[in-house]
Amino acid sequence: MSQSSQLWAGLHCPALPLMAVWQLSSIAGPLAVHDSMRGQARLLQVNALARQHGAQPGQSLSQALAVLPHLQSRSRCRQSESRILEQMALLAYQHSHQVSLAPPDTVLLEVGGSRRLRGGLRPLLEELRDEALGSGLQLRIGLAPAASAACLLARHDLRVSDPAAMKTAIGGLAIDHLVLKSDQRKAIRDCSLRQVAELTALPRAERARRFGADLNHYLDELHGHLSTPLAQWQPPEVFGLRLELPVPTVRSDALMFVFNRALDTLRRWLEVRDQGLTRLQVRLEREDGGPDNAFDIGLARPGFDQDRLLELIQLKLDGLKLAGDVDAVKLDADSTAERRPAQSDLLDGTNRSDAWPALLDRLSARLGESGLSSLAPAQDHRPEHAWTWVPPGTSAPCRDRRPRPSWLLPAPRPCRREYLALEEGPERIESGWWDGQDCLRDYWIARDGKGRQLWVFQEHQPRHGWFIHGLFG
Amino acid sequence: MHSSHSSSSLNKLLSQRPDLWRGRRQPRGRALPSGRADLDRWLPDQGWPSGRLTELMPACLGLGELGLLLPVMAQQTRIARPVILITPPWIPCPQRLARAGVALDQLIVVRDAHHGFWAAEQGLKSGLCGLIMLWPPRGRVSERSVRRLQLAAEKGPAPAFICYRPDQSAPPSLAALRLAIHPGPSLEMLRGGAPHHERFHLGRSNVIAWPGTRRAPRLLSEITRDDPTVSIARSRQSAAQPEPCP
Repeated sequence: MSQSSQLWAGLHCPALPLMAVWQLSSIAGPLAVHDSMRGQARLLQVNALARQHGAQPGQSLSQALAVLPHLQSRSRCRQSESRILEQMALLAYQHSHQVSLAPPDTVLLEVGGSRRLRGGLRPLLEELRDEALGSGLQLRIGLAPAASAACLLARHDLRVSDPAAMKTAIGGLAIDHLVLKSDQRKAIRDCSLRQVAELTALPRAERARRFGADLNHYLDELHGHLSTPLAQWQPPEVFGLRLELPVPTVRSDALMFVFNRALDTLRRWLEVRDQGLTRLQVRLEREDGGPDNAFDIGLARPGFDQDRLLELIQLKLDGLKLAGDVDAVKLDADSTAERRPAQSDLLDGTNRSDAWPALLDRLSARLGESGLSSLAPAQDHRPEHAWTWVPPGTSAPCRDRRPRPSWLLPAPRPCRREYLALEEGPERIESGWWDGQDCLRDYWIARDGKGRQLWVFQEHQPRHGWFIHGLFG
Repeated sequence: MHSSHSSSSLNKLLSQRPDLWRGRRQPRGRALPSGRADLDRWLPDQGWPSGRLTELMPACLGLGELGLLLPVMAQQTRIARPVILITPPWIPCPQRLARAGVALDQLIVVRDAHHGFWAAEQGLKSGLCGLIMLWPPRGRVSERSVRRLQLAAEKGPAPAFICYRPDQSAPPSLAALRLAIHPGPSLEMLRGGAPHHERFHLGRSNVIAWPGTRRAPRLLSEITRDDPTVSIARSRQSAAQPEPCP
């Protein structure tokens, strides 16, 4: 495999620290992220609105709050930053199976293979950018025949596809943008070199002598003369996601915003692993340390429909009584490789086969699993044990052809013989000795004072007496 | 008394003249065959009103309201149009349903009494269901929920039934049909038909399936002779083994 056919795209998120703490919030005010620098909280990044009102990166937090009292700032969260980087990798993995992380804020993907697919690279890169934007991430995208160069050019939103153009593009950058050790940087500055081109114009030996041999190695990687060792990124085997809310809340619209973002990630994960969702377990963690609220959403058919899932989550949230603010949401997914594609109904052309499971899901989201069932016959001679509730739509066909009433009482109810006018019978039922439930009964059709036809029996053992067991009606 | 008698015979006479247009007759809506030809003739639209609400008012629960609908439930579930029974008062017996020809995997029972009306609306609006029957929970039934049910029914082709308890009064509604069920059982049309419509006697055949009196259980397989659903049941049974004696 010749290395020259490779082409790397770099996805760079310039506002990663800011996004990491505010991605899950729909707040439209001035926002910032701060970090502790030399014992003082200083702004690291600010959004456009905060900048307009005078907040600047590098400012101390107290100073910024004095200028802009309604500025909302959160402290930097490196864990969330690496979560977003994983999210970007998942996004990239949908388009390429050669994906690497370039922490802290860039993801690389090999796109040489996609050059001739889907009408070229431009639509692919546009699609990546749009998808990221849909998840609230603004990306810069670089393109270069060498991975190292793609990583560097991504910071400047520069795209080149052949080595000569790459050399020019890199050469035009300021040396400050290279990833250099501080002593190297100082030595280069002391030589009053400004642009990368000036540095590469120097003879190799001269560079090695003045700035160290590893600078040549780095420049070789940048120009694609040496390949950069990259660790391949793989999507996780199972899906689990825990999202911390920027502002703890009980408001269902704020929670739904978080769920929508979480489902974006879940959808990508299912796509790249070619899985269908079967069950989603949701846990809402309380800020005050109170008991978590948890619910499950089971799907009648493996698949994924984001709008439908959001609707189901909304139904579940409506039914919950949240006693305190939620500060984190945890999602775990059960999935299966079995994905049945939606079929169209031959008769009316609507997507019936998909719509029916969707209706069942919606019903069971509100009614709960015990609130929605189908009926199935069970193998037992005693009529009260000859039926069972089963999950909707899973009943086996019934082969029992003995006459039975339309209605069964949940359990036989004692009654007085004198209130019954026996009409037909008896049918003797004698069974159950194998599980210690042996019984001997004679079933009759009888009529009660209201003119209803009842299914009654006289029990001879273990109890004695008359019981109503069902109604014909 | 005399006048009511003469007008009922007049009605009978008039009904024998298909060429005669009668202004009182409501415009005929779509209807689903009930599964019984005599019942279809009696019902105003020659079947159960589809995409509309029918109210059943049995004198007491268990008087025949489920048996009445078994044939149409069988017919709908066999063409994969699911039937939803919402908070029925007792457990519909799966053996009885299956013998009437109902495909059990197309039958859903909603058991959560708090969300019965909501579930019925969802089912009706989806346009996927073959029949929906709701038993409202004890207590007063609000006019608004029945009205909403009626509107939801109009969204799809399914016939919708609401079955009131004897102690519940039906709120004012725009239901297409309102039937009382009397012991017998017999049906009386309270709304939807001509004012002096005669009662319809369901007969025991509709609600019962049992061998002749005091026959030994070994003859149980003969029982379905007078069951209206037997034609479906028998065609299903043809391949099955004869039932072993209990």
